[in-house]
Parts: sequence; structure tokens; C-alpha cells
Amino acid sequence: MKSKLLLSLLAATLASSAMAQVKPEDAIKFRQSGYGFMAWNMGRIKMNVEGGNFNKEEVIKAANAIQAIANSGMGALYLPGTDKGKGWEETRAKSNIWTDKEKMGKVATDFVREANEMAKVAAGGDAAAVGNQLGKLSGTCKGCHDDFKAKR
Amino acid sequence: MNSKRIRLWDLPTRLFHWSLVLCVAAAVISGQVGGKWIDWHGKIGLAIVGLVAFRLAWGLLGSTYARFAQFFPTPGRIKAYLSGQWRGEGHNPLGALSVFGLLGVLGVQLLTGLVANDDIAFRGPLYDLVGNDWSNRLSGLHHLLANVLIALVVLHVAAIAFYGHVKKKKLLKPMLTGWKDDGEGESATGGGIVALLVALLFAAAAVYGASGAWLPEPPPPPPAAETPSW
Repeated sequence: MKSKLLLSLLAATLASSAMAQVKPEDAIKFRQSGYGFMAWNMGRIKMNVEGGNFNKEEVIKAANAIQAIANSGMGALYLPGTDKGKGWEETRAKSNIWTDKEKMGKVATDFVREANEMAKVAAGGDAAAVGNQLGKLSGTCKGCHDDFKAKR
Repeated sequence: MNSKRIRLWDLPTRLFHWSLVLCVAAAVISGQVGGKWIDWHGKIGLAIVGLVAFRLAWGLLGSTYARFAQFFPTPGRIKAYLSGQWRGEGHNPLGALSVFGLLGVLGVQLLTGLVANDDIAFRGPLYDLVGNDWSNRLSGLHHLLANVLIALVVLHVAAIAFYGHVKKKKLLKPMLTGWKDDGEGESATGGGIVALLVALLFAAAAVYGASGAWLPEPPPPPPAAETPSW
């Protein structure tokens, strides 16, 4: 029992030190890369829904990519103080991400849930359902952008 | 005072007005809700391009009280109105400020919206003309001005309520029926079928221009471009 506790304590310490090794500048870069990559995949799904020739495989690839990023625990990249700083470009993360934890947690959870659902629906291969779910998913993107992403 | 029933707002002006009410309401709601409604927001925006372009043309070609020159709020007219000296029909000088204010803000909303993006999967039809940096900046402005537009609409409606209750001037009915019962001026003239057709043509051209249909085709979609299969 005692050793288990020690072990988990050690693991936690290691984990947090491993996390601390990401430099703020890199953390911001990884964040921006993640969202940019998801934007590519959102666009791919949208093109398939609108283009008239729905390619199930393409949509599955894109949806899986979004799901993977959504479930990657990007919260770890939101180091304290990184509401300012430059990654690929100046960050647009607003400081209330760190203060309005309850709401932030909710929009993040909503997003992960809809991203998971997106992957499920994509696997089903029904174009109309994919379009519908894409709408729901982008709604959760907006849910965060509205309150937690600075406008330029 | 010899008041009589006069023709105030011609039918195209009224149709424009009420279509604009519906479209702006739909645009505000779809913009706030986002998600799958953002595509509708874009389509409604194009409809508003048509409406506003029509109104601009109708401000030159329309019947008497629809013409911009008839109600343009010059400092002299505003001063006269504020001191109670102004006599006339149609938009009074303050109302005219409201008209031009609404059209102006709406115009900026249209231009910025056409090149905007939502950081998710929506891009305005003319996005490619300005590129990402400017699109981001103008999207910010678009968001900001949405609030200004809403404020102007609230002011507009409040002013009409004020005129109705306090100054006992019913502004709503003429905008619905076209007729004003206690008019002191002459009935509106002009704005015939030819003028209407020209204005409609201008509106159609504006929608075509805003739709980006004339932009060069984007490079062929992925399947045509050689990319590795992984």
C-alpha cells in the first residue's frame, strides 16, 4: 500500500516534470499546430459533404484525425502565463481560460464529445449525418472561440 | 393645416424594408448560433448584398421619398429639424441619419463578411481576395460591428415607438401600406418600371460580384494533384 502510494507520487512528479519541460513558446506552437491541423480536416469533411461526391474514406481519415487531437489532452499545453507569447504567431488564448475554469471545462468537454461522435458518424458513412454532425462539431469550436479566443 | 392622404413609400421601398428586417434578423441569429448555421449566415449575407444594392440604386432611381437627395441629412436640415423649423414628408433629418447609419454599418458588415472566416470551416466567398491575415482582422471587425448594428436597430425601433407614443406620429402604418393619412406634402412620383428593372439588374450584378463566382477556379482538388497515398 505504502509503496503503491510512493510509486504514484513518483509517477505524478515525473509526469509533471515531463510536462514542465515543454517550453511556453513550444506549447503555444503545439496548440496552434493542433488547431490548424484540425481546421484542415474540418475543411476536408466539409468539402466532401458539399462537393456532391462524398468520399467515405476521406471523411473517416479526417474525422479520426480530429478525434485523436481532441482526445490528446491539449489542456496540458495551456501552461500558466501562456495567454501571452508567440508560437507560430501571437497567441489568441484569452486569460479567462485559466480563471473561468468551469465554463472552459464545459466547452472543452463538449468539443471532445462531439469530436468522438464525429468519428462514429464518419464510420457510418452517411453523408447527411456527417454534414449534420459537422455542424454540431463546429458549434462546439465556436463555443470556445466566442469566449476564450481573442478577436483580432 | 390641410392634410390629405398621400402616397409616401412606394412598393419596392416597402418590400426592401421588410425583406431587410427578415434577413438581418436571420443573419444576426445564424451568426450567433454558428455551427451548421454559419453557411446559412453566408447565404443570407448574399441576399442582403442584393437588398442593399437595390436600395442604393433605388435611392437614385426610386420615387420621390425614396431618393437620397430628398432626405439627405445636411447640417442645415438637421439644425432646422432640431429647432422645430423643418417641414416635410418622408424621412425627417434625424431619421435620415438613422437610414444612412444603418446602410453604412450594414455595408461594412457585408464587405467584411464577404472576406471573413470563422476559424473553423467557413470562409466568405471573397476570402481569397484578401488572404488570411486581413481576413482575420476583418472578421474581428465584423464581430464588433454586429453589436453596433444591433444597437442601431434597437435605436431605430425605439425612435419609432417614441414618435408613436410621445409625438403621436404613426410611422409604422405608412411603411406597411405605403399611404400616409395626414400628409402635408405631395404624393410620391417616379420610380417606374424601367427604374425598377435597372435597380434589380444592379442588385443582381452586386450579388454575382459578391458570390465570388467570377473568381478564377481554385487549383484542382486533391485527387488531381499528385500526393503520396499515405
